[in-house]
Amino acid sequence: MAQVTVANGTPSRSPVEIMIDRIWRFFTSVRVAVLEITLLALMVLLGTLRGSDAPQWMANAAPALQPLVDSWYAWDVFGSPIFAILLAVIAVAIAVCTVNRLPAIWGTISAPRIRTSKGYIERAEVKASFTHAGTLDELRQGMESIFTSRRYRFFTEQVGNDLHFYADKNRWAKLGTFPFHLALILLLVGGIVASVYGFRDTNFAVAEGETQSVGHGTDLSVELVRFTDDYTQEGIASNYESEVVIYDNGQPVEEGSISVNGPLNHGVATFYQGGFGISVDLLIDGASGRTLYDESLEMGFFNFRGNPDAPAGLIRLPSEGVQVAVVAPDTDRANRPDLDTLQLQSGQVWVQVAPLSTSDPDIEPVTAVLDQGTPLEVGDLTLLFERESRFTVLQVAYNPGIPIFFIASVLLVGGLAATFYFPLRRVRGIIHHGAGGNTLTMTPLAKRDWGGKKEFFSMAERAGERFHTTPTIKRPDHEGNWHDDASQESDDEETR
Amino acid sequence: METLVQMSFYSFAASSLALGVASLSYMLYAVGRVRVRRATMTTSTGTTVTSSTADFLPGNIGAGQFGTLLTWFGGVFAFLAVLFRTIAAERLPLSNMYEFSLMFVLAISIMYLIFERIYGIRHLGAIVATIGFGMTLYIWSLPADLREITPLIPALQAGPIMTAHVSSAIFAYATFAVSFAAAILYLVKSKRNIRWLPSLEMLDDVAFRAVTIGFPLLSLVLILGSVWAHDAWGVYWSWDPKETAALFTWLVYAVYLHTRTLRGWRGNRSAIILLIGFAAVIFTYYGNYFFGGLHSYGGV
Repeated sequence: MAQVTVANGTPSRSPVEIMIDRIWRFFTSVRVAVLEITLLALMVLLGTLRGSDAPQWMANAAPALQPLVDSWYAWDVFGSPIFAILLAVIAVAIAVCTVNRLPAIWGTISAPRIRTSKGYIERAEVKASFTHAGTLDELRQGMESIFTSRRYRFFTEQVGNDLHFYADKNRWAKLGTFPFHLALILLLVGGIVASVYGFRDTNFAVAEGETQSVGHGTDLSVELVRFTDDYTQEGIASNYESEVVIYDNGQPVEEGSISVNGPLNHGVATFYQGGFGISVDLLIDGASGRTLYDESLEMGFFNFRGNPDAPAGLIRLPSEGVQVAVVAPDTDRANRPDLDTLQLQSGQVWVQVAPLSTSDPDIEPVTAVLDQGTPLEVGDLTLLFERESRFTVLQVAYNPGIPIFFIASVLLVGGLAATFYFPLRRVRGIIHHGAGGNTLTMTPLAKRDWGGKKEFFSMAERAGERFHTTPTIKRPDHEGNWHDDASQESDDEETR
Repeated sequence: METLVQMSFYSFAASSLALGVASLSYMLYAVGRVRVRRATMTTSTGTTVTSSTADFLPGNIGAGQFGTLLTWFGGVFAFLAVLFRTIAAERLPLSNMYEFSLMFVLAISIMYLIFERIYGIRHLGAIVATIGFGMTLYIWSLPADLREITPLIPALQAGPIMTAHVSSAIFAYATFAVSFAAAILYLVKSKRNIRWLPSLEMLDDVAFRAVTIGFPLLSLVLILGSVWAHDAWGVYWSWDPKETAALFTWLVYAVYLHTRTLRGWRGNRSAIILLIGFAAVIFTYYGNYFFGGLHSYGGV
């Protein structure tokens, strides 16, 4: 058998070049981009459903799915490495696609190709033609006038005996895709900047009259002067507000109020109203008379099993090997009365002193009801319930990603508006100068642009009126039946 | 105030009735008519032979025009319902599912009539007006106490940003309903080739144009929601289920736009993505029923 050896004229590429080329093609592939977005959408759907009862309904309907559903609920989709990797891949793909598409788009904008071919116009789905008996210059000027009146720019090029022309409008809007996609990258960058360089404390509780340090490398502290919660006659909350003093290095630097939707900024930190609750001012002395606790205990961060609806707090006293559970009266009428087994009155708190280690058999839990202002010995401790006050729960955050987020938002909306509301419209044509006059044929590059075709027909009719002729217009058939096959995927001649 | 609330409700009831009859009229118009012809022949042997033929004809144009008229009525009454409630509450009615859905009925009427006017086709009304009517039935099904005007809870007292955020969502969903209707008609036409339905190209364009309005609006929903969340909660994105449901919807329409504009997809495949997109819209719209999280004050 004869063997044919073909010598490759081009120098062979190195494996590194081949690898880079493959990676580049992977990231510029529209098919891959669509796949990535689809995967992201599916992951977002999984994460969303995880926050609902829907997976459990599935497990109830098909009990065999229960282990899968349990894994689903246990999976922190949005915090998972695979989600982060997918976002990173999409960000890289957006960047690479942008670089890849820029030269072609810039070429369309700055130096569009004027020359076309008769075959292209012949085969066009939509076209218009007419013959003009006047001079070529009259026809050219007339067409230019029609196009420019519709904000098109108009170019011509003499090719042999023919004059080729190209007209377009909204060319700059073609760049709208770049700010939009840049915005998506910036949103991710903003999130990364916020998590790396910022901080967020969602449970910054301060009792009335007390001062808490913000921490996180700042010298700020916050004193809660007063917390107010207002209600309508129907009992619906109308306002929550914390009056605070902010200290920097121990010096008061700002006074102000914080409400829902009304945060307070100072320096790098922003304070947001989160929640509120009641606190109990307690004084606890040990057996030796030494004061072990003299603070305001915020209630609500702990649930006491004996009365789960009631506001409760827990104090750990490691030096004594005990913990003190404190339960305040349940005044919320929305709570279940049958759970209120303690039936405390205003001015009372219920306490339980129990060993820190439940396995310690030497210290038995001791319970008592404290009346405000009356010290009481409970076990080895002396407890004094001084007063009930309020505390506020603030969020303290520093988010250096916010300016990036705002820039991204403007770019995103602006880019979308430019892309969708100022579509690039293009028309190509040839004026053939012959013995019988000038024959003009033209076609829009508007394969999927119904509005573009409509505008083209309107301009063709306008040209007919101007040159006192009836143009032959080829419109799509009434049914507009195109085929849903791959051959239709090729775009207009220049868009790839 | 009570009188205004009542007037708002009566206007809503009128809107509901108008949209119900409008959807029927549009259906009669879109489905078309069947004309049966019978011919009887007598053969030379004296036998009588009867044959029947059925002609499928476009729907009565009058039914379509009547549908348009009633959709206008539906829109005007929905506007009055919103107006009276706005005056009574001294804010736009956007705070619970009753008010939100009332606004949606107004938005879907407006968006549909705009598209009907631009494209000069009424067939979409058979689906869009039916969605609007379905929404009014949902409103009827809501507990009566939601019709009462209650003061806004502190989280919702965000004035302009809440109005912009929620209104954007309503108009985005309304335009997606138009694209959904166009996608349905596209699939019907491509399967059955019903000649009196609009051309496939026009239906594809209607769907695309609707998405080019809805998608930026949905982007605005996410952005304004983030700005609001930043002011209210100190973080602009919390991965809250309602947020992520809206993000899912946004991503589905992003897939549609990418496949259509860059991959050149059109036809049935694009139409099917639009059906998935509208399912995502419904999922997001009614998410308050099965999501917990930060948007649970929607008052369902």
